[in-house]
Amino acid sequence: MSYSDKVLDHYSHPRNVGSMDKGSTDVGTGLVGAPECGDVMKLQIKVNPETSVIEDAKFKTFGCGSAIASSSLATEWVKGKTVDEALQIKNTDIVKELSLPPVKIHCSVLAEDAIRSAIHDWKKKRETPKPEIVEARS
Amino acid sequence: MATESKTARALAETGERACWSCGAPRAAQFCSTCGKVQPPQSVDYFTFFGLPRKLNVDVPALQREFYELSRKLHPDLYGRTSKQEQEWSLEQSSLLNDAYRTLKDPIKRTEYLLRLEGVELEEQSKSATETARVTGEIKKQVVPPDLLEEVFELNMQLEELRMNRKMGEDDPALTGELEVHKTEFEKKYEVLTQELKQYWDQWDRVIDVDQEEKRRQVRDKMVDVLNRRNYIRNLVRDVNEALGS
Repeated sequence: MSYSDKVLDHYSHPRNVGSMDKGSTDVGTGLVGAPECGDVMKLQIKVNPETSVIEDAKFKTFGCGSAIASSSLATEWVKGKTVDEALQIKNTDIVKELSLPPVKIHCSVLAEDAIRSAIHDWKKKRETPKPEIVEARS
Repeated sequence: MATESKTARALAETGERACWSCGAPRAAQFCSTCGKVQPPQSVDYFTFFGLPRKLNVDVPALQREFYELSRKLHPDLYGRTSKQEQEWSLEQSSLLNDAYRTLKDPIKRTEYLLRLEGVELEEQSKSATETARVTGEIKKQVVPPDLLEEVFELNMQLEELRMNRKMGEDDPALTGELEVHKTEFEKKYEVLTQELKQYWDQWDRVIDVDQEEKRRQVRDKMVDVLNRRNYIRNLVRDVNEALGS
């Protein structure tokens, strides 16, 4: 099996590799894994609390070329989108863009899971009132 | 075909199995009456060996059966038979090898049984993601978050180690830490293997009483343990590779 040019491009020049402060309220972190292949993928987003626009995204993936390419592409796609828009990204869009073969579809599923998981984490943080607000209320 | 008896044809039409040569009801590989080799049936590996769908298997007995059948299917015995029989014996032989290889190994056996029981990890993961997309609910990850966290951290350390090696540097503290983690993961692996064995016993009991609900429960637990076990296996392999290089 050979990788498509787009996979190779993302694999050799991954976009947005890195990490952000997990503790920050504006940052959502998604950590997901696929037991079939042992891949583990971390995707983080920085969201503007006023506009809900994803201003930055970072990822770090340990896995095959397709898993790295899928998460790299995912960070590119979520940047500039609102949280709700990012939730519309489907794994099949990633499959199409990267021409992933059937055996690598789970990599795209993982990337979608990572986006959702990161957004969920961010939302959860937002819903939890900050300690000082609790204090102000009491 | 000229050799096909009327009875065999009649039985084939009604979906029953009969020997192509003498028409008697047949076993999986050979006719129990006339002993002729039979065309391979699309049966699962347990059925191929005449075994119930259980996870505790008497491996020495299976091995004896394997040798016995291998001998009976040996190409030398079919030198003077019809072309068709030669083909069937070859097909039966390769089926026999696949079935034996799968069933003699307890993990492969478990994975195979789970597939027979309708477990399709990738398919299920994909549809769970689709459900999450539609409902907005959170997909339950098959690997628990704390294990993922550990796996991620360990991979970071492995990457550091590989980078150091590339630069010709050695970091004894890092190597030592990795060794410690490796030992911990090996222990976890052993615990999971033991856990899996308990589920084999549970499964074999459940299958006897034919409880659909309980059967699904045990099945899903085995999937869960296998998933975590695979993860750790891969990880230990990667650590070994990195430390060994």
